[in-house]
Amino acid sequence: MTTTDLFIALPMLLLAVGALLILLIGAVTRDDRAGTTIGVGMTMGAALWLLQTPPATVAPTLGLSAAALPRLFGVFLSLLAAGTLCLSHGYNRERGISGEEYPATVLFATFGMLTLASATNLLTLFLGLEAMSFGFYILVAIDLKRATSGETGLKYLLPGALSAAFLAFGIALLYCVSGTLSIPETLQLTLAGRPDPVALAGWGCFLAGIAFKLSLAPAHLWTPDVYQGAPAPVTAFLSAGSKGAAVLLLLLLLAPATDAALLRIPLWGLAVISMIVGNLAALLQSRVRRLLAYSSIAQMGYVVIALISGRGGGYQAAAFYAIAYGVISLAAFGAIAVLERCGCGETLDDYRGAGFSHPFASGVLALAMFALAGIPPTAGFTGKFLIFTAALRSGEFSLAVIGILLAAISVYYYLRIVIALYMGRSSRIPVSTSHLLEYLVLTVASFIILLLGVWPTPLLSVLEQTFL
Amino acid sequence: MNQAPLLTLLLFLPLVGAFLLLIIGKRERLSRIMALAIALVETVLACSAWFCQDAILPAAAPKGFFLFEDLPWIEALGIRYTLGMDGISLLLVILTALVTVVAMLASWRAIHERVSLHYLLLLAMESGIMGVFLSLDLFLFYLFWELMLIPMFFLIFIWGHGRNIYSAVKFFLFTLVGSLLMLLAIIGIYLIHGSQSGMYSFGLAGLLGTHFSLTTGLWLYAAFLLAFAVKFPIVPLHTWLPDAHTDAPTAGSVILAGLLLKTGAYGLIRFGYPLFPEAARAMTPLLLALSVTGIIYASWVAFAQKDMKRLVAYSSIGHMGFVALGIAAWTPVALSGAVLQMVNHGLTTTALFALVGMLDERAHTRQIEDFGGLWGKIPIFSAFFMLFAMASAGLPGLNNFVGEFLVLTGSFKTARLATVMAFVGIILPLVYTVRLVQEVIFQEERRSLPLSDLAIRELLLLTGLAFGDLYIGLHPAPLLEILKAPVALLTGGAP
Repeated sequence: MTTTDLFIALPMLLLAVGALLILLIGAVTRDDRAGTTIGVGMTMGAALWLLQTPPATVAPTLGLSAAALPRLFGVFLSLLAAGTLCLSHGYNRERGISGEEYPATVLFATFGMLTLASATNLLTLFLGLEAMSFGFYILVAIDLKRATSGETGLKYLLPGALSAAFLAFGIALLYCVSGTLSIPETLQLTLAGRPDPVALAGWGCFLAGIAFKLSLAPAHLWTPDVYQGAPAPVTAFLSAGSKGAAVLLLLLLLAPATDAALLRIPLWGLAVISMIVGNLAALLQSRVRRLLAYSSIAQMGYVVIALISGRGGGYQAAAFYAIAYGVISLAAFGAIAVLERCGCGETLDDYRGAGFSHPFASGVLALAMFALAGIPPTAGFTGKFLIFTAALRSGEFSLAVIGILLAAISVYYYLRIVIALYMGRSSRIPVSTSHLLEYLVLTVASFIILLLGVWPTPLLSVLEQTFL
Repeated sequence: MNQAPLLTLLLFLPLVGAFLLLIIGKRERLSRIMALAIALVETVLACSAWFCQDAILPAAAPKGFFLFEDLPWIEALGIRYTLGMDGISLLLVILTALVTVVAMLASWRAIHERVSLHYLLLLAMESGIMGVFLSLDLFLFYLFWELMLIPMFFLIFIWGHGRNIYSAVKFFLFTLVGSLLMLLAIIGIYLIHGSQSGMYSFGLAGLLGTHFSLTTGLWLYAAFLLAFAVKFPIVPLHTWLPDAHTDAPTAGSVILAGLLLKTGAYGLIRFGYPLFPEAARAMTPLLLALSVTGIIYASWVAFAQKDMKRLVAYSSIGHMGFVALGIAAWTPVALSGAVLQMVNHGLTTTALFALVGMLDERAHTRQIEDFGGLWGKIPIFSAFFMLFAMASAGLPGLNNFVGEFLVLTGSFKTARLATVMAFVGIILPLVYTVRLVQEVIFQEERRSLPLSDLAIRELLLLTGLAFGDLYIGLHPAPLLEILKAPVALLTGGAP
C-alpha cells in the first residue's frame, strides 16, 4: 500500500477503526456515551479529512479515488452519520436501545457508503453498497424489545438480498461483455454504439437492483413498513444516507458515460411510476411515517427526472437534490424522533396540537414539510427548480409537466401534517426534558434547508466544478 | 439620488420585525405594539418613496423606474436580486403598508390567542407582498409569490372559524397549482431567451425582447395567466375566495381582499402582457369575456348572500372584474383606471371587511337578517358603513367611481361589446349594496344585539380609509400623474 492509497483510504479507515474501537470499549463499559462520542468524533474526523485534503489520483490497487464528487458526498454522508448519532442518543435511551453495537453499526454503514462513493470499479462499488446495506439490515431491527422490530428487519432483508443478487448478476453480465470491472471502460464498452443483448440484460438487472435501493416503484414495497418500524433516527439515516448513496451510485455510473440514451426509457418509466404511486398513495396515509415513506418514493422519482436530463445540467440537479433531500429527511425524522421520544403516537391525530406544546420540534417538522413540498425559500424549492430547469433544457417536456402536476398534488399531504401540528388547543403529548444534541442537529439542519433555499451558490459552484 | 437602499429596507424591515417577534415570544402587549410600530415605520418608508421620483439612476435601470437596486445573487443560474419601483409599484407599495396597518388595528381586540404569532405572520406576509410588487427578476418574483401564501394559509387555518381547514387548504392548493405551471413557464422563457441571446438571465428587462413562436408564446402565457387568474380571481377560478373570506379572521380577509388579489392583476400588468404581447393580444377576447362574466355573475351571486362577509367577498370578484377589463383593453386610460381601481378596491373593501369584522366582534353574527336599525343605535358606525358601501357601489365623488369610469372610457374604443356589458355590471352592485344598507342600517331592529359604537382605534382606522376614498374620488390627478409614465411605457406610447 502506497502513501496515496493510504491518503485516499484514510476516511474509510477512520470509520472502520472507530467501529472496532467502539466494539472493544463495549467490553469495558456499558455507557453509551463513550460509543456515541467516538462515533461522532470519527465521522467528523473523516469529514474534516475530506474537506482539508486536495483531490487525489486514483489508488489502483484499492479501486478507490478521491475525485470531487466522492469527496463532496463523503463529507455529506459522514456529517449525516454524525447527526444521526447525536439524534439517537436521547431517543435510544428513552426506547431502551443500548449497547455499543448501535454506534458501531452506524459507523460501519457509513464506511460502506464512503467506499461506494469513492469506488472506481464495479466490484468495490458492490462491496461498498453491500457493506452499507448490512449495516442497515441490523439497524432497522435493533430495537429488540419491540415485537415489530423483527418483522421490519425481515421485510428489509429479504428484498434487500434479492436486490443484491440482481446487482451482482448485472455486474457479472456487464463484465461478460466488457471484460473489465473498471467503471469508465465498462460504460464505454456497454453503453456506446449498438447495444449488446447481454449488456442490455446486465443493465436491466443493475437498474432493478438500484430501483430497490432508491425505493422506486415498482420496487418500493418495503419502504413504508421499514420507515414505520425502524427507530426514528435510523429512518432518518436510511432515508437520507442510503438514498443519497444510491443516487451517488447512479451518478458515478451515468455522469461519465458519453451516451446514456439506452437507459432513458427504463428510467423514464421508473420516474413516472414512482411519482404517481408515491404521491397518490401518500394521500391515503393516516400515519406520519408511512406518509413520509410514500413521499420519499415520489421524491426519488424527481431525482430520476434529473438523472434522465443529465445533459442539461441534470447531474448537478440530482446531486443537489440528493443532498437537499438528505438534510430535509434528517430534519423531518429528527423532529419525529424528538416528538416520539416525548411520547407522541404514530398517526396524524396523535400529532394534533404538537405545534403549541413542542414548538421547536414541530416548527422544524413543518419547515421540512414545506421544503419537501417545494415551497420557497427552502432547499426543496431550489432542488425542484434545478430539476425542472434541467428537464426542460433536455427537452423532457412531458416529464416536467407530469412531475409538476404531481408535485401540486403532493402539497396536499404535506399540508396535512402541518395542519395536524397546529390544530386544536392542547396536545396529549407530555413535555419531557430536552436534549441539547437533538436541538443542535435540528437547528443546523433547518439552517441548511433555508440556506440552500436562499443562497445555494456555494454548493452550486462546487457541483459545477465536479461535473465539468 | 439613490444612496439608501430604500427598496431593500421596505422589503426586509417587516421580516426583521417578524424575527424580533419570534424572540419576544409570549409577551402579548409588547408584540402587538412592536408589530404596529414596525408597520407604521414601513408606511412612512413607503410614503417617502413618493418623494424619490426624481432620483438619478444608474444607466442599467430600465425606463420608467425611479428606484432601482440590482445585485448578483445566484450567478450560476443568472439570477439577480433586482428590485425596481415605478409609479404602479409605488401606489401598490403604499397600499400594502396602509392595509397592513389596518389589518393590525382591526385585529387588535379580536385576537386573544397566540397573539405574537398572529402579528408575526402579518409582518411576514407584508414582506412577501412587498417583494411581489418590487421584484424585477422572475425568479425573485416567484419566490415572493409563493412565500406570501404560507402566512395566509396559517392565518386562515389557525385563527379562522367554521370550516377553516377546508378553506385554508383550498386557498393554498388553488393558488399553488396555478403558480407551479407558471414556474415551468418561467423556466421556459429563461431557456428560450438563453438559447436566443446566449445570456441566461431571469431579469425582466433582458427577457422583454425575447421572441416566441405564437404557439410557444400562447402556452407560456397561458401558464402565467392561469397563475394570475386564480389570484385575481377571474371567474371560473374564483371558488376559493368566498370560502377563504368566510372562514378567515378579519385581518386575513382584509389582507386577502386588499392586497393578495392585487398581486394577480399586478403580475399580469408587469409580466404577463409585456413578456408575451402577441399571445396576450390573441387571448384578449377570452380575458374580456371572462372579466365581463365575472362582473355580472359575481354581482348576481352577491345579491343572494345572507352572510355579509360573503357578500363583500363576491363584490370583490365583481370589482376585480373591472380591473381585468381595464387590463384586457390595454389602452393608457383603461390601464391607469385598472391600477387606480386596484388601489380603490384595496381601500374600500378593506374598510368593508373591517366594518363587518367589527360587527362580528360585537354581535358574534354576520347574517344580514340578524341586524337592522343600526342607524339609531350606532350612528357613527352606520355613517361609515354607508360611506364605504356607497363607495363600493361606485357613487360619483367617491373613489371607485373614478376607477370604473376610467376603465370604461378607456376600454370603449378597443372592446365595445364588453364595455357595454360592463356598463350593465355597474348597475348591479348598486342593487345589492342598497339592499345591504337598507336591511342592516335602516329598517326595524330585528334582534337585540349587544352593539356599541366605534372605539377610538376603530374610528382612526376608518377615518384614514375614508379620507383616502374621498381624496381619490375628488382629486385623483396626483395619482394619475404618477401612473402616466409607466402606463405609457407599458402600452407602447412615449412617456
